[in-house]
Amino acid sequence: MKLLARYNRVNLITTIIILLITGFAYYQAISWVLTRQKDKDLEDEEMEIFEYVALNHHLPQTFETKHQQISFAEAKPNSIKREIVDTVFFKKWDKSNPKRYKYHALGEYEPGRALISSVTVTGKYYRILVIESKAETEDLLQIIFYITIGVITLLLIVLFATNRFILNRLWKPFYSLMQELKVFNIADPTAIPKLDTSIDEFKDLNAVVFDMTTKAKTDYIALKNFTENASHELLTPIAVINSKLDTLIQTDNFSEKQSKLLSDLYSGVSRLNRLNQSLLLLVKIENRLLQDQQIINLRELTEELIVQFDEIFNDKKLKLSYQLDDKEIYANRYLIEILLSNLVTNAIRHNYAGGEIIISLTNENFTIQNTGENTPLPFEKIFTRFHKSSGSEGSGLGLTISRQICENFNLGLNYLYSVPYHNFTITFPEQA
Amino acid sequence: MFIIKTVLKILIIEDEKGLRESIEEYFTEAGNICEIAGDYETGLTKINLYRYDCILLDITLPGGNGINILKNLKENNHSDGVLIISAKNSLDDRLQGLDLGADDYLVKPFHLSELKSRVTAIIRRKSFNGSNVLLFNEIKIDLLSKEVKVGKRKIKLTPKEYALLLYFISNKGKMVSKNAIAEHLWGDGVDIADDYNFIYSHIKNLRKKLMEAGCKDYIQAAYGMGYKFTD
Repeated sequence: MKLLARYNRVNLITTIIILLITGFAYYQAISWVLTRQKDKDLEDEEMEIFEYVALNHHLPQTFETKHQQISFAEAKPNSIKREIVDTVFFKKWDKSNPKRYKYHALGEYEPGRALISSVTVTGKYYRILVIESKAETEDLLQIIFYITIGVITLLLIVLFATNRFILNRLWKPFYSLMQELKVFNIADPTAIPKLDTSIDEFKDLNAVVFDMTTKAKTDYIALKNFTENASHELLTPIAVINSKLDTLIQTDNFSEKQSKLLSDLYSGVSRLNRLNQSLLLLVKIENRLLQDQQIINLRELTEELIVQFDEIFNDKKLKLSYQLDDKEIYANRYLIEILLSNLVTNAIRHNYAGGEIIISLTNENFTIQNTGENTPLPFEKIFTRFHKSSGSEGSGLGLTISRQICENFNLGLNYLYSVPYHNFTITFPEQA
Repeated sequence: MFIIKTVLKILIIEDEKGLRESIEEYFTEAGNICEIAGDYETGLTKINLYRYDCILLDITLPGGNGINILKNLKENNHSDGVLIISAKNSLDDRLQGLDLGADDYLVKPFHLSELKSRVTAIIRRKSFNGSNVLLFNEIKIDLLSKEVKVGKRKIKLTPKEYALLLYFISNKGKMVSKNAIAEHLWGDGVDIADDYNFIYSHIKNLRKKLMEAGCKDYIQAAYGMGYKFTD
């Protein structure tokens, strides 16, 4: 639920409740005031009757107006208790009133207020009944009710409009900030933009987000620089070791044991060097430093690669079969070469002698299948840095680099194991 | 007819002492003259005083950028061969170096045998006097048509065997490690093969073809560590 909706809901409910309470209070107050007014009128009427009786010593004529009916009735002495009660008032319609024909009635009942009192006229005890119509009071209350409903409706409309046009605009900085955070890329050098807002909360939020992302980026750059510098610094000692080894083997005729040791040293240095080069390459790809792109014919590239690896296929007695369609992509040639080479290298390295490799290239994807160990690889781990299967001589960076290259060019890279093949698939983006 | 000049004059401009000394030692043998410069100033002074067959130029030097030494050479129309040895493996740097007139670009770390083969190739191109034939005793190599003859007999080599032969001749008398050969022939692809068995078959074939044509056996193996091509 949006904050705005939540806020509106609370706001609306409380407002409506308060309005209803107000309406009710109004109703009660006005009703009370009007009833008292009526009661006073009734008492005035009673007073008039008393005065009339006192003066004339007989009952006044009973008469009826549109709003008032007075009647007298003889009663047992002292049997009447004086009281004012709510009652109904029968309002007679005029002879000309069309309602008479419409409803086939002489009049209608309206709410009324009655005063029951008593008077003694020349020894006789009478019950006085004065009824007044409360129709005006009811009309007034009705008007109050309509006004209340009207105000509530108006309030709803105003609130709706406010939300729609003003609040959305008020929250706009928030949503634009959210959008920025959604697309935030730690490797992207552009900073989160300053929001154009005069609201303090959003300014603060913007400032905090800005500081946080800037710090994250600085840290990330520092880390990357460290990797890059460390790898660069390693190059020189590796170069020295390499050249010293090359010099060392010129010095003498070595025994078989010494030769074996030197051979192992060479292998070690060579691996160290490849690892270092891989790290440097990874930094470069992550920094998107290799930007020059061109149309690459993947079929030709794969064929070249197959020729290049031919001896190694033979050496390991691997059975290679391939089905290549024409497919062109727009990317950096150097990186795509590395990508394909890495996948082929893995397919060879993790294969057994006499195993099988199947390469297929279609318009949708590039798949390389290879036999190898009979267990699927842990999908979530193989793309992480330095994940290696046991006994692997690789750097542990090959698939990390491959994945990073794929990401740079919007290619998908997926792994699937279906007995007996390990499948690595590069999915090409849908062509527009 | 062209024979590799027996005395080469080489300048090594490299600030890393260990590397500089190794290179110097590797190139000094066989009567070559090696001069060294450990910083930008020394390098600049030397190139303005003497001429060299080949200058090995590091880019990052104390006191200045090696690229400026290259620019200085070209501004003065000196035709010394220049091989850039750099820790920077970026296409841009490589292209910049080559655009400015360097003859080759080698990324650190490298094998000395690789360096030697590159330098030899540069010198060969520089002293190219209308001839493109390389002689080594009875072996005669036409560098343009890539034709190899032993005496009068033509032998047919695969591209890898041909590259191997040239590599050996460039590094004659030197022990060349298996790693260096593998990297020379296959480049980055070699990190697949955990041992370099397939090199062995290439060397075996090359040796067989040379000897069948009546060539002496110049290739010596050293317990799986490497090979030496000797007179």
